[in-house]
Amino acid sequence: MTATSERRLLTILLVLSAITLISWWIGAQHGQGEFRLNGPVTFGVLLIATVKVRLIIGEFMEARHAPRLLRRVADAWLALLVSSLLAIYFIGAGFHT
Amino acid sequence: MTDAGAAADCARFAPPDERIRPGDAAHYVPGQPDMWVFVLVEALIFASYFVIYMLHRVQDPALYLRSQERLNAGLGVTNTLILLVSSWFMARCVQSSRERRYDVAFRQVLFTMVLGLLFIGFKLIDWSRMVSEGLELSTNEFFSFYYFLTAIHVLHVLIGFVFLIVAAYQLRSPLRRSQEIVETCATYWHMVDFLWVMIFALLYVIR
Amino acid sequence: MRAVAVQAAPVLPSGLFERLAWHWRYNPKLEFWIAWYSMVFFYNLFGVVFVGMTRVMPPPQPWWDTPRVVQWFNDNHNGLLVGFGIIFLVSGLTAACNALIGYSMRRMSVSRAFAYSYIAIYSVSALPGMLLTAIALTVGAMRPERDPELIYWLYDMGFMCFVGTMGIFLIGTLVWMIAILIDKNRVLPKWFGYLNICNLITEFVVATSWVFKKGVFAWNGAIAFWVDTAVFAVYTVAFIYLLRKMIKREDFGDGPLPA
Repeated sequence: MTATSERRLLTILLVLSAITLISWWIGAQHGQGEFRLNGPVTFGVLLIATVKVRLIIGEFMEARHAPRLLRRVADAWLALLVSSLLAIYFIGAGFHT
Repeated sequence: MTDAGAAADCARFAPPDERIRPGDAAHYVPGQPDMWVFVLVEALIFASYFVIYMLHRVQDPALYLRSQERLNAGLGVTNTLILLVSSWFMARCVQSSRERRYDVAFRQVLFTMVLGLLFIGFKLIDWSRMVSEGLELSTNEFFSFYYFLTAIHVLHVLIGFVFLIVAAYQLRSPLRRSQEIVETCATYWHMVDFLWVMIFALLYVIR
Repeated sequence: MRAVAVQAAPVLPSGLFERLAWHWRYNPKLEFWIAWYSMVFFYNLFGVVFVGMTRVMPPPQPWWDTPRVVQWFNDNHNGLLVGFGIIFLVSGLTAACNALIGYSMRRMSVSRAFAYSYIAIYSVSALPGMLLTAIALTVGAMRPERDPELIYWLYDMGFMCFVGTMGIFLIGTLVWMIAILIDKNRVLPKWFGYLNICNLITEFVVATSWVFKKGVFAWNGAIAFWVDTAVFAVYTVAFIYLLRKMIKREDFGDGPLPA
C-alpha cells in the first residue's frame, strides 16, 4: 500500500501552479495590442495543459498506483484529444495563410 | 495504526489479479471503479465539445482572437489556481482519511468546498462583467462556446458539491467513514479540476 | 437465511412456438419479459419511424424560410402521416419501460416514494418526448394547402418540443440516480447511477436550442443534437442491458426492502 506524502502533493501543486502561470505568460506576452494567430504559443499552451492534466490524473487521482489498464486508457484519451486539437489547429491554420 | 487496522486496509486495497513485480507497490483503483467509468464517459463527451470548438475556431480565427481579447485572463488564471488548490486539499483529505486522521480530513474537505464556492463566485463576477459589456451567449460564435463550456463546467462543480458533502458526511461520524466513498468523491472533484484546465487553455490562452 | 430449493434446470421443448408456449404457461418472470421485449420493440420502432419514415432525426434546419419548410412537409408527407400514425398506436408501450424502471426501484432498499414518483413523472414523458412533436407535424402535413405561415409555426413547435423539452427527463433521471446510488441491494451497478449524471447534463445542453437557429447549438447542431443523442443512445442501451440482467437475477429476497 502506498501513500502519497504531503511533501510530494505540495511539490505537485507548486509545479502545476508554476506552469499555469507560465502558460498564461506565454499567451499574454504576445498580446501586445491585438491577439494574433500564433502556432508556437498554441502548441506550448496545449503541451502545458497536457502535462497539467497528466499530473492531476497521475498524482491527485492516484492513477500512478492504479492497474495498467486505467493508466493506459487515461493516457490514450489525453493523447488522442490533444493530438486531434493540434492537428485541427495546424491544418486549419494552413488554410488561412 | 494497529496491525489489524493495517491488515484490513491492505485487504481493502487488494489489487485485482495483476502480477506484482518486486518493488512495485500494490496496484489499486482509488475509490469505486464505477466512478472511473463515469469519468471516462465525461472525458469523452467534453473531448467532443473541445474538438467541435477547435473545428469552428479554425474557420474564423480572426473573430475568435478578437473576442478572446475581451476575456479577463487574470480571472481565468485565478480560477485555475483556485481549483488546483482545491484538488490539492482533496488529495490530502484522502491521505489523511487513509491515515485515520479524520478531523484533519474533515477540515480539508471543507477547505475544498470553500474554494469551490470561491470558483463559482469569481465565475459569476466574470460573467456579470461581460454581460454588462454586452457580451452574452448569442453575441458571436466564440462567446456561445465560452458561455456554454463554462456554464456546463459550473454545473459539474455544483454536482461536485454534492459529492463533497457526501464525503464530509462520511468523515464526520465514526459510524461511517468509508474510505472508498471518500476516494470516489475525490475522483469526481479531480475530474472537475482537469476539465477546467483544458477549458482554460482552449478559451483563454491559445492563440 | 435462504429457503430456496435447488432444482435442476427445466427441460424446454424444442421448436420456437412450443418454447414460447411453455414460457407463457410456466415462466414465473413472464410479465418482466413481456415488458422488456415490449421496451426493446418500442425503441427499435421509434428509431425506424423517427429516422427512416418521418425524417425527424436528424432534424432539418431551423433557419429555413417558409417556402423551404413547406417543401419539407410536402417531401415527407406520407412518411410523416404514416410514421406518426404508428407512433400514436404504440405510444402506450412506453408504460412497459417505465414499469420496469419503477420495479427496479421497488427492489432497492430505498423508500417506495422513489419508484412511485418516477412512474408519476414519466407517465407524462411521452408528451414532450414524442407526442407533441407527432401531433404538430402530422397537423402540418395533413393539409398541404394550409397557410404557409401556419405550417412554419407547426414546424417550429414540432422540433422545439422534440429537442428542447427536457424538464421531465431531468427530474426523473435525478430520482432514479439517487435511488441507485443509495441502494444497498445492488440492483443496478453504481456506474449506471453515475451515468445518469451524463443524461442529466444533456437535458441542460439542449436548452441552447431555444436560443440558436444556426450552428452547433441549434436543434440540429453538433452539440445540441448529435452529441446529446449519442449520449442518450449509450444511456438507453446501457439501461436496456442492465434491466435484462436484473430480470435474470435469482438472488432477490435476500436484501432489505422498505416496509
